[in-house]
Amino acid sequence: MIENSFNRRDFLKVLGWGGATVALSGCGNTSVEDGKEFVTSYVQTADYIIPSIGTYFNSTCAQCDAGCGIMGRVREGRVLKLEGNPKSSINNGKMCGLGQAGVQAHYNPDRIREPLLRNGDKGEAITWEKALGLINEKVGGVKAENVAFLTGGVSGHVKALLKNYLDALGSGHHYVYEAVAPSIMRAANKKAYGIEMPRLRLDKAKVIVSFGADFLGAWISPVHFSQQYARFRKADNGERGVLVQVESKMTLTGANADRWLAIRPGTEGILALGLINSLAAAGLSVPGDVAAAVKDYTADRVSKDTGVSNEHIGKLAALLKERSPSLIIAGSAAEGYAHGSQNATAIALLNQVLGNVGKTVEAPSGVPFPQMAPTPGNRFALQALNDNMAQDKVKVLFSYGANPVFTAPASMKLKENLKKVPFKVVFAHYMDETAVEADLVLPLDSALEDWATAMPEYIAEGAQLSIQQPLMEKLYPGTLGMGDILLALLKQRRPDEYKGYEDFYSYLRSAMVSNKGALGGANEDDDTFWDTALSRGVVKLVGTPVNISSNASAKGLVVPAPFVEDSAYPLHLIPAVSASLRDGRNANEPWLQESPDPLTTIVWDSWVEMHPKTAAKLGIVEGDIVEVASKSGAIKAQVYVFTGIHPDVISVPLGYGHEAMGRYAKGIGVNAFKILDPVFDKETGELAMHETRVKVTKAGQRVIIVKDEGPAGGNQMGRKIAVRMSSSKVNLSEEV
Amino acid sequence: MSITNLLENWSDFRQQHPSDDRPHREYKWAMSIDLDSCTGCNACSVACYAENNLPVVGKEKFAHGHSHHWIRIERYWDNDGREFADQGAQFLPMLCQHCESAPCETVCPVGATNHTADGLNSQVYNRCVGSRYCNANCPYKVRYFNWYNYPTIDNVWPEPMNQQLNPDVTVRSKGVMEKCTFCVQRLTVAKSDARTKGRSVLDGEVQTACQQVCPTGAISFGNLVDPEAKVGKQWMKQQVDLNKDKQAKDAAEEAVKLRGYRILEELRTYPSVMYLEQLRESAI
Repeated sequence: MIENSFNRRDFLKVLGWGGATVALSGCGNTSVEDGKEFVTSYVQTADYIIPSIGTYFNSTCAQCDAGCGIMGRVREGRVLKLEGNPKSSINNGKMCGLGQAGVQAHYNPDRIREPLLRNGDKGEAITWEKALGLINEKVGGVKAENVAFLTGGVSGHVKALLKNYLDALGSGHHYVYEAVAPSIMRAANKKAYGIEMPRLRLDKAKVIVSFGADFLGAWISPVHFSQQYARFRKADNGERGVLVQVESKMTLTGANADRWLAIRPGTEGILALGLINSLAAAGLSVPGDVAAAVKDYTADRVSKDTGVSNEHIGKLAALLKERSPSLIIAGSAAEGYAHGSQNATAIALLNQVLGNVGKTVEAPSGVPFPQMAPTPGNRFALQALNDNMAQDKVKVLFSYGANPVFTAPASMKLKENLKKVPFKVVFAHYMDETAVEADLVLPLDSALEDWATAMPEYIAEGAQLSIQQPLMEKLYPGTLGMGDILLALLKQRRPDEYKGYEDFYSYLRSAMVSNKGALGGANEDDDTFWDTALSRGVVKLVGTPVNISSNASAKGLVVPAPFVEDSAYPLHLIPAVSASLRDGRNANEPWLQESPDPLTTIVWDSWVEMHPKTAAKLGIVEGDIVEVASKSGAIKAQVYVFTGIHPDVISVPLGYGHEAMGRYAKGIGVNAFKILDPVFDKETGELAMHETRVKVTKAGQRVIIVKDEGPAGGNQMGRKIAVRMSSSKVNLSEEV
Repeated sequence: MSITNLLENWSDFRQQHPSDDRPHREYKWAMSIDLDSCTGCNACSVACYAENNLPVVGKEKFAHGHSHHWIRIERYWDNDGREFADQGAQFLPMLCQHCESAPCETVCPVGATNHTADGLNSQVYNRCVGSRYCNANCPYKVRYFNWYNYPTIDNVWPEPMNQQLNPDVTVRSKGVMEKCTFCVQRLTVAKSDARTKGRSVLDGEVQTACQQVCPTGAISFGNLVDPEAKVGKQWMKQQVDLNKDKQAKDAAEEAVKLRGYRILEELRTYPSVMYLEQLRESAI
């Protein structure tokens, strides 16, 4: 029977696929049927391609900027699952949920499949030739200074090509924008340690005090920090590290703290200075000028200002005095406020006074290729671009790796200003909010189809160049990689320099092979070097040593008094960065929408977190739809009441509320970016994310919240399900 | 298999659990989860979706309790009426406990769920008639029913999303019960590979998808029969005995250093998953 039903054509197609994957060339899924592709019989395929057996290829995760190494499981020419690359020192074979969902970005049914040119309200499909020709014509018709390139954080060879393209145009207007980047912390670190992004050694610390840094969830390199956290909690000698999280809205990291201290928003710097004062009083040696500067921060005053009890300040100071080294981290305390830089300076000072610099705060390695070193994004870049657009200084705008129409607060009027730009080119995977506004939309290959290199900003050890390689054939013939597009644009401008490269792959290979000496392949022939690099997925580089400075000084240390009440807008809004959705770029991946928020267990919608006291005062219960109004706008969402938030604060997660993008994102929840007030950090000019004041009013309706927790909420009803005990009662060194 | 053979060696074929006199022979798959390492990040759950072809059901069906997360993170608060959850949350990855004496198995009218020789609680999809008795009888609520035809009528994997489906795992259709399998497709391959080499599966040779992804390494999985297996050593150290419904920890005051326990053990389900209690520092 099997013989009769067996379709020979299908059989050949499957095998041809396998062959095509090896060659990484060809014309897409249906190429065999179209007769454009040779069918390679099974006996001729590479010996590692066996039908029904998965083969693994290493690459680099592009879901966030952490740059974890991934290993794609490929079977019969399809990538099925992403696993961590054990050779990457960033994630050592581990992954997060966001990274896993990379396959859903790749196989997403809402991806754009061909270049689209605006024709009235519609996008008209055009050829790449025409699209690239149009760009050439448009940039040729304006002055170089009127060309602007907006990107997310960039690094590696794509960054080098982008710079060359801008140089070829004679324009230096490259705006690097990330909506939720730790940019104020970077600036404060630079001042305190001489380094923007020092290496944090959670695993060496005995006590960690984190001022709102969600390092287990969404902060910088969460998978790497999670692994360090595991060693911090269970050191080889059995000593268990103590985590204290100070923040106004509980993050995932806060939910794992031994003590979560709800602090009045913005007063983190005061607490840091109070701790220095208490430590000095307890006998810690503190430089004279620092001691003088903090002497007024008595425990009583600090307790009154911050809302953290006297008892906890005392215990925390005692803990820090007794257990060394410790590690103090500034997260939302820095990014949140108009005095964020000052908060971060005070927190860094606490680190310095405790002698942690050089022990748990280490110098990273310098990157040997500055042209490929990461350019991290910040929020100020969008501000600058927006101002230039408003003044009609931008005639041609390119946007890549950013969705500013979605992430810009309404008060910026970015969408209106965008309309002043005569020609807008958006490189995109989806028709997102920014692509909808574009004149020309260029569809990108998915991260699992494209070639690239990346240098993550935070590298755990040494320096490394991470390689992103295709894990399977392109799904659609009409998409193109960013490297390929830049190369094509460069060929328009500098044909002599670039005509030798057929595509980005040949450019990349040649660029790496010709530098193989510096990339650790001096003794290998070209093919061996290249194949080794691809099979490992990372190239370890010899980093240059960097000095870290620790000069504990009270110079320039000013921390303002706590905020004053605003009777019209009595509550503080904390826009929460969730581990899954971040700034919203991955919202169209359904696994992430259905992955419950760890704290509230809510799925598929936005919510407003509120303390029971606040809810009672406003007469609100769980599920009430409320209007959250700031000076800059209003949103409506369901209320979730819990005790992981300060009563002066409400919190709404970011990333929801798309008006476009795709079937899994559009119309889900509300966009909290929109109602952020234009308040900026005084030193860096960065948007202060937590400075928005709001008022909350009931909107009338009530819904049943869709969430994973049962009717009992977080109560175990006396059953022994999740059990907790005091760490003093166990000896972890005796455990396996 | 002749009927004579079956009758004569009945006790060999019938899996009776738990029992000290009839131990597992080659394999007994088991897990341990350290709740002090678990951060509740949900990576395990997403990995399970990727590995086991779990459908994303959407908001409305999720509200009806139709979600299909074979491993889910339960989140509890231990507030005692305090103003803040100031010792954080308690996260607990909940999955099929692969009970040695599973309440779901005894109620299945068609024998669709039963115990395998290597200690898995298995679910045979093409035997299942959808009575859902097993679901009603499971104290852990880890069985998930296909109320809809997700692959076809509901189209939860619209083209080309269906290309991501793992060919090693059946895509279930309407009317079938499903649950965590301890990634049986991986176990089968590992056992087969080991058998080819004339030995048993070594510790670390096979990982479940949730264990593999876990950023803090909170999940250990392995063969309890293998004396070298980490999971067995953990169970031994914590003095948790698979075949007992009361452990040393419950009995003696001096055993308080132990933090291994099994959930709802008093129901005498003899689970194959041991949890290690979460810790909290008392100095702060």
